[in-house]
Amino acid sequence: FRFKDSLAEDLRRADLVISHAGAGSCLETLEKGKPLIVVTNEKLMNNHQLELAKQLDRDGHVFCCNCSTLVETLQSMDLSTLKPFSPGQPEKFASFLDKVFGFQ
Amino acid sequence: TGGHTTEILRLLSCLSESYSPRHYVFADSDEMSEAKIRSFEQKRAETFSSSQFTLDRIPRSREVRQSWTSSVVTTLYSILYSLPLTYKLKPDLILCNGPGTCVPVCISALLLGLLGIKRAIIVYVESICRVETLSLSGKILYYFSDYFIVQWPDLKEKYPKSVYLGRIV
Repeated sequence: FRFKDSLAEDLRRADLVISHAGAGSCLETLEKGKPLIVVTNEKLMNNHQLELAKQLDRDGHVFCCNCSTLVETLQSMDLSTLKPFSPGQPEKFASFLDKVFGFQ
Repeated sequence: TGGHTTEILRLLSCLSESYSPRHYVFADSDEMSEAKIRSFEQKRAETFSSSQFTLDRIPRSREVRQSWTSSVVTTLYSILYSLPLTYKLKPDLILCNGPGTCVPVCISALLLGLLGIKRAIIVYVESICRVETLSLSGKILYYFSDYFIVQWPDLKEKYPKSVYLGRIV
């Protein structure tokens, strides 16, 4: 499984995803509407990876845990409490730029 | 690099053809971005047949966690390299989102502006990963960009001159 080109197919078939806190992994999973548990390792990670994972947890989109609490999380989690993750809106950016340049 | 490229292509996804030609500048050590960009532009050309773009590589200004002093040297080297490139391209708009690569390009653009050669509008969009703190590029360009966009409300509070449009990638 080491380095597949794309996990899209696996993601499509999964019922639950347990992932590290890389932004790409988290966002791709959430966009596909899959329940996600993010396992963080504060010692290894860049601080900013942790920021996104924590925010997603605060907003109720994922469950965050670390290696030692993973089992407990899996046992006690209620996936139905996870909130759907709405996609980003690049059209808002386009609108903003259009206003800056006077294209409307 | 990687995540930055994916994010910037998403930002471009809704732009009209007024934003053309597009000049992509990325680090020479970056292998994956070229493929992603070509794929994006190919798809775009299906809708906008006269779509134009170019690709340019510059020396990477800083490796992750590179020391301060050596970073200054490598960034200076990247500026020397990006100055003629920016002069050649004379962009109206510079859109960047955080890799070290963007700092020399923006500095070059600022210099060209100061010299009265070409004034580019610099729009910086901080990565979606940045919820509470800015990246190093962000901390620098917060003061030098025309528009500084953040994607989380905490950052808008901390950096009041920034623009908050919600999540845009």
